[in-house]
Amino acid sequence: MTKNWKRNLIGGLSFTSMLFIFQACYGTPHDVGYDVLVEGIVKSKTTGQPIKGIKVAPYNDMQQVFTDENGNFSFYIFAENGIGLRFEDVDSTQNGGFATKDTILNTFTSQVFVNIDLDNK
Amino acid sequence: MQSKINLQKKLGLKLFRHYKDTQTQLHDLKYLFWECTLNCNFNCLHCGSSCGTSQSNDLHYQLIVKELVLIKERIGKNLPHIVITGGEPLMRKDIELFGAEISKLGFTWGMVTNGSLLSHERFSALAESGLTAMTISLDGLKESHNWLRNNILSFDKTISAIKTVLENSSINFDVATCITLKNINELEAIHELLLSLGVKNWRIFTIDPIGRAKVHKELDINGEVLIRTLEFIKKAKKRKQISINYGCDGFLGHFEGEVRDEFYFCKAGINIASILHDGSVGACPNINKQLVQGNILNDSLINIWNKNFQVFRIRDWTKTGQCAACNNYNYCQGNGICLRDLENNKVMKCHSKMIG
Repeated sequence: MTKNWKRNLIGGLSFTSMLFIFQACYGTPHDVGYDVLVEGIVKSKTTGQPIKGIKVAPYNDMQQVFTDENGNFSFYIFAENGIGLRFEDVDSTQNGGFATKDTILNTFTSQVFVNIDLDNK
Repeated sequence: MQSKINLQKKLGLKLFRHYKDTQTQLHDLKYLFWECTLNCNFNCLHCGSSCGTSQSNDLHYQLIVKELVLIKERIGKNLPHIVITGGEPLMRKDIELFGAEISKLGFTWGMVTNGSLLSHERFSALAESGLTAMTISLDGLKESHNWLRNNILSFDKTISAIKTVLENSSINFDVATCITLKNINELEAIHELLLSLGVKNWRIFTIDPIGRAKVHKELDINGEVLIRTLEFIKKAKKRKQISINYGCDGFLGHFEGEVRDEFYFCKAGINIASILHDGSVGACPNINKQLVQGNILNDSLINIWNKNFQVFRIRDWTKTGQCAACNNYNYCQGNGICLRDLENNKVMKCHSKMIG
């Protein structure tokens, strides 16, 4: 399958086709949709200490990241209203046991910072 | 020679590459261009298409509405944003009818125009039909703009159109400027002009060395001019008087993260599709027509989007020649697909190399 489309791509080309390329395309208007850097820190609501190993995953997305030893996380996401994020303790009691928490991001700039406090289970 | 990228930026680019890979796997359709006509009232020097020189056999807008109904049935929520382009979209009289119908379906829509046909009445009609975004091209001060647009009245009409939009609406609006050897020394003056008009968003592009740009050497900028352009954008960003960004068409080496609000990401065929004037379906409208993936006259766009487009989503075929030897390939992935010379499978313009 992959080889077929590669063969079609290379095989079907001609020099004249290369010259007729429409130049006056200006991409998508600003603010219609863009990529957002989401950063944040996850802490224990009880102790105020950062929590390592919390899984952070946007809804309807294949990405997932884990908080580092300072509770920090970061990832990029496509800007849309109402992006759901789930914070989940998946390492059992290794860093204490914390209840799963969900939050919704509604407003976007090109960078957002999220502070999350998790309850003990 | 490749541009040197510092460690912190490399870490950011690596994180961003993970996001790009995820978006590529998901390949959600976010933007859909409709090249509604090839007819144009101008004959711009930088336009490599047949705009303005031939009659376009335009599709009835109901054919596009039909495709959008199918997209809505399949996708449900988070519908793609529709961008109407051309030719000159305002040459068509039925844009408002199309806009009103798709707004009712829940789609947001915008358009790219030269502005010359945008009267107050026309703009009101578009706004009432649900227009949410507009881009108008302004390619310099009067002389250089009219030169590129090949029309002595273009500048005045464009300024008038910008005023019309800003006086009447709060839609997402931006001005797009193509940098040439004619207007490179005017960037500060254009900046002042846009501020005086009240423009809040400005996008700056360079013209690719293809089509008529091969004939008009003033259009083919060199590395020095590109660097001057990027340095200007950096400086203007710091002043924060206007939201300014370089266009989407290339990986910018050590300028990444400094002249755009986001890192470089060619979303052609990953988040972006187009219906061209004859019904053919591709990624961005300025991409080589050899990469057309189907035609809505034979199949639905959503089927074509889901079945085809592999050439845009698996880009290892671009890792040849200078790209194969480039340290930045993982971030760049062969530059924008619109910049690929498909016959020789090489990149026609490497911004990173130009920057040095």
